[in-house]
Amino acid sequence: VTRVRVTGMCQGHARCIALAPDTFDFDDEGYAVVRPGCEVVTEERAAAVQRAVLNCPEAAIVLDAEGGDPVD
Amino acid sequence: VTDVRNEDDAAIGERTRTFDYHDHRLDGIFDEYRWLHERCPVGRSEELGGFAFLAKLDDIFAAEQDPETFSVAPSMLLPPFATDDPLIPIDIDPPAHGPYRKILLPAFTPRRIADLTPGMRDTARELAQACVDAGTADVAATFCLPFPLIVFSRLCGFPEEDWPRFGRWLHDIIYERLTDPPRARASGDELRAYFDELLRRKAQEPRREDLISVLLDAEVEGRGLTHAELISYCYLLFLAGLDTAAWSIRSGLRYLGLHPEAQAQLRDDPSLIPAAAEEVLRTMSPVQGMARTCVRDTVVRGQEIRAGERVVLLFGAGNRDPEAFEDPDEIRFDREKNRHLAFGGGIHRCLGSNLGRRELVVALEEFLATTPWFRCTDPEQPWFGVGPLTLEFTERP
Repeated sequence: VTRVRVTGMCQGHARCIALAPDTFDFDDEGYAVVRPGCEVVTEERAAAVQRAVLNCPEAAIVLDAEGGDPVD
Repeated sequence: VTDVRNEDDAAIGERTRTFDYHDHRLDGIFDEYRWLHERCPVGRSEELGGFAFLAKLDDIFAAEQDPETFSVAPSMLLPPFATDDPLIPIDIDPPAHGPYRKILLPAFTPRRIADLTPGMRDTARELAQACVDAGTADVAATFCLPFPLIVFSRLCGFPEEDWPRFGRWLHDIIYERLTDPPRARASGDELRAYFDELLRRKAQEPRREDLISVLLDAEVEGRGLTHAELISYCYLLFLAGLDTAAWSIRSGLRYLGLHPEAQAQLRDDPSLIPAAAEEVLRTMSPVQGMARTCVRDTVVRGQEIRAGERVVLLFGAGNRDPEAFEDPDEIRFDREKNRHLAFGGGIHRCLGSNLGRRELVVALEEFLATTPWFRCTDPEQPWFGVGPLTLEFTERP
């Protein structure tokens, strides 16, 4: 099982919100957050989440294996 | 061995001594970037008062994450935008920077920009239709410049009757600051005087749904912005919001006008346009470089940089870094990994990046939807800037 989170590196580029809108939302100031309940990356959202990871200019999206070890 | 290397270093230094990233120097700069990546990713130029430069994406990224070493004082702009005063918020370091920036962050979220999109589409379509009707048009003047000017001026609350005066100020301050500094200064003074008057007037009027109203009511650390701060913020918005968007739209249309296969691809599958926009931003970034000042001795990629040195982050080079991008000089609509820094990064990430991206995407979508086909009639017109771009409109071949 892979979990996704947004770190404090986020600066609000909003690439993840464009590329994986089912997983990411943003707060009042435009910083990204993972939608509640979407922390576990399901198979159907995995490709979009991966695209978000590869296009985040701040490398602020982190995938963790269930144990907490970074996947990527 | 040592002698050969010293000679080599000397030759490299001789070549980078005159490096610059403005105006006509942008002709052929992609070859120069390629050479920098191979031979001199961290170097020095004696132009513009002297500066060190970083060409690698990783180094630029790291510098942007380290404002305690790389300060934005006295200005991110080198040379400055026809003023000696720091511009708010880009020329302000932490801790003062954050509160200034927070004022407008909510105005530029993806949702707020989505709300603007229907109006943007109408504007883009009308302007594009006028281009087609003319048969051949300088679309820089009739589409690329007016589109963001209309969109952004409405958002900010710059009155429509004033728009015809904006073009000369933009041109003088941004482009003539290198070739004719007194002219740039004179226009900078005029623009400040304009905002001085506009802000006084709008302060007396009922508030509207525009950014000037937000600024007028804003508080930083329990106080309102001073009149001087308001002028500085508006001056920055004006210069940052109009030229860069026009540049990126123009560079995108020029590319499509010179590459019929790419134009056909986007016409056949408009869902590729957002990815195409990212490639336009990456390869022809409207901001090729932004300056910092090193405030404590540091080392980047083995090169010492000393406190007091100006350091230019070459976004344009970083965005073509072969270690960060496969086939970095190729525009590829199917690029999977694209962590480009056309909008910078770190705490000074372009405040208007969501708007700038949307303007570019909407401009390309509506221009392609409104025109049957177009081609560049003058390939010699430069890829950079906001100068003439002549397109001829025809039936699709």
